[in-house]
Amino acid sequence: MRKERKMPIFWLVILGILVGLTLFSSWLVPFEPNAMDMNHIYEAPNGTHLLGTDQLGRDVLSRLLIGGRVTLFIATLSVVLSSIMGIIYGGISGYFGGAIDAVMMRILEAFLTIPSLVIVLALQAIMQGSVWRMAIIMGCTGWFVTARIVRSEFIRLKEIEFIHMAKMFRTPLWKILFHHLLRNSLPAIFVVTIFNFAGAIFTEVSLSFLGIGVPPSIPSWGTMLYTAQNDLLVGAWWMGLFPGVFIFVTILCVQAIGSRVKQVGGQTHV
Amino acid sequence: MFKMENVTVQINEKFILNNLSFTVPKGQISVIIGESGSGKSTTLSAILGILPALATVEGSIFFNGRNLVALAKQDQAALRQRHFFTIFQDAANSFSPTQKMKQQLYGLTALRMGQTMAVFLAKMKRIVQDLHLPDDVLERYPFELSGGMLQRCMLACALYLEPAVLLADEPTSSLDMLHQQEFIQQLKRLHSQLETTVLLIIHDLDVAASIADFILVMKNGEIVERGQVTEIFEQPKHPYTRQLVAHHF
Repeated sequence: MRKERKMPIFWLVILGILVGLTLFSSWLVPFEPNAMDMNHIYEAPNGTHLLGTDQLGRDVLSRLLIGGRVTLFIATLSVVLSSIMGIIYGGISGYFGGAIDAVMMRILEAFLTIPSLVIVLALQAIMQGSVWRMAIIMGCTGWFVTARIVRSEFIRLKEIEFIHMAKMFRTPLWKILFHHLLRNSLPAIFVVTIFNFAGAIFTEVSLSFLGIGVPPSIPSWGTMLYTAQNDLLVGAWWMGLFPGVFIFVTILCVQAIGSRVKQVGGQTHV
Repeated sequence: MFKMENVTVQINEKFILNNLSFTVPKGQISVIIGESGSGKSTTLSAILGILPALATVEGSIFFNGRNLVALAKQDQAALRQRHFFTIFQDAANSFSPTQKMKQQLYGLTALRMGQTMAVFLAKMKRIVQDLHLPDDVLERYPFELSGGMLQRCMLACALYLEPAVLLADEPTSSLDMLHQQEFIQQLKRLHSQLETTVLLIIHDLDVAASIADFILVMKNGEIVERGQVTEIFEQPKHPYTRQLVAHHF
């Protein structure tokens, strides 16, 4: 029991260190991430380049930290966007119910039948380009689960007595929606958002790895894995290993925190 | 004072209330008794206007000579807001778990009357003391209070608002014996202080006998017998009432 309580703190500390390193990467990086040094290409980790150099002699550690900032920025922006869209869609569907809910849910189910990665791929092919566009595309295709969770929370809450009382006492609709329904749905929204965040990191990495995500000129964990594909063949194992470890640990931390929050949420009244 | 006349409630073509008619005498405590599924809670929901969207209501619900069913929804709500207060079965569900009691009790009482927080605090602190609630109850969240305390918080609202009609659906069912007695005493005190017309739904016949002036016996969405407590418990006429009473005592 005691060990279980410590778990989220452990994962939070690890995630905090990773996020801190990427957030302050501009000051922490030992080398300019795009500075090429053709005299030191494919250098294995050593005292000067702690995580080695790539095919253009760029410092892998510096690119990893700057790249992490890009990946986490895309994940954060897309999750904020998808949460807003999911809350609005699910909230309207759940609160009004009836025919509105039926129509909105059929549309949502139609979206859910198509794997979101396929939709992202299609949109990315049309709108390909910047970090911002990628975050927007991921946000616009990542709200389906949030909408379902918000809908079910609103349906559950609106039948509880305090909502009946609010309606009976002519509480304004906006107050019922925001002060009562949304406020009491936040724990569930928080959990789904954490898992969406892990999913968004994975999507960015997957798309960039396939070469259709962030442009290769911008370092991100995904683009680093993309360029590492060929480098692994020449024995530059550090090119793929370190971005892979960072991605793995970050997603593991987020998933572990999400699972713990979900457990705790189920044990308390809120 | 308060009258239901030929009220029929249908949900998915199933009759939940069937031509229900009864009068709640002014200033008295009336109690509806009956088995689960007899339509007691639906009766209360119909009076409060909180039936599910699928439900259809026919008949008349008169309050002070005005038919609530015939009024526009806004007028119905305004009338209920001014004259009615209700206590639900599960006190824990009567409050939002994420807000402190101060904001919630203020919203349920003083805010409805256009009073400031300062006015609310001055009056509510006295009521809280009278009801033997902890001094810091207003600063607590609902999950930090017991079921009994939360029910007393609902009573505190009733004492603050002084409604003409108080409705309660099984208010004592989630309480232990000690808190049940305490709640009944406080409800009686509220009734004698304010002369409020009270309509209760109570499952426990002991509790019903100890608090009621007038009893309504309900079965399959209809009132099968009505009368003073002594009439119902000592000389029940309807076979169902006899069965209920015999089974219990």
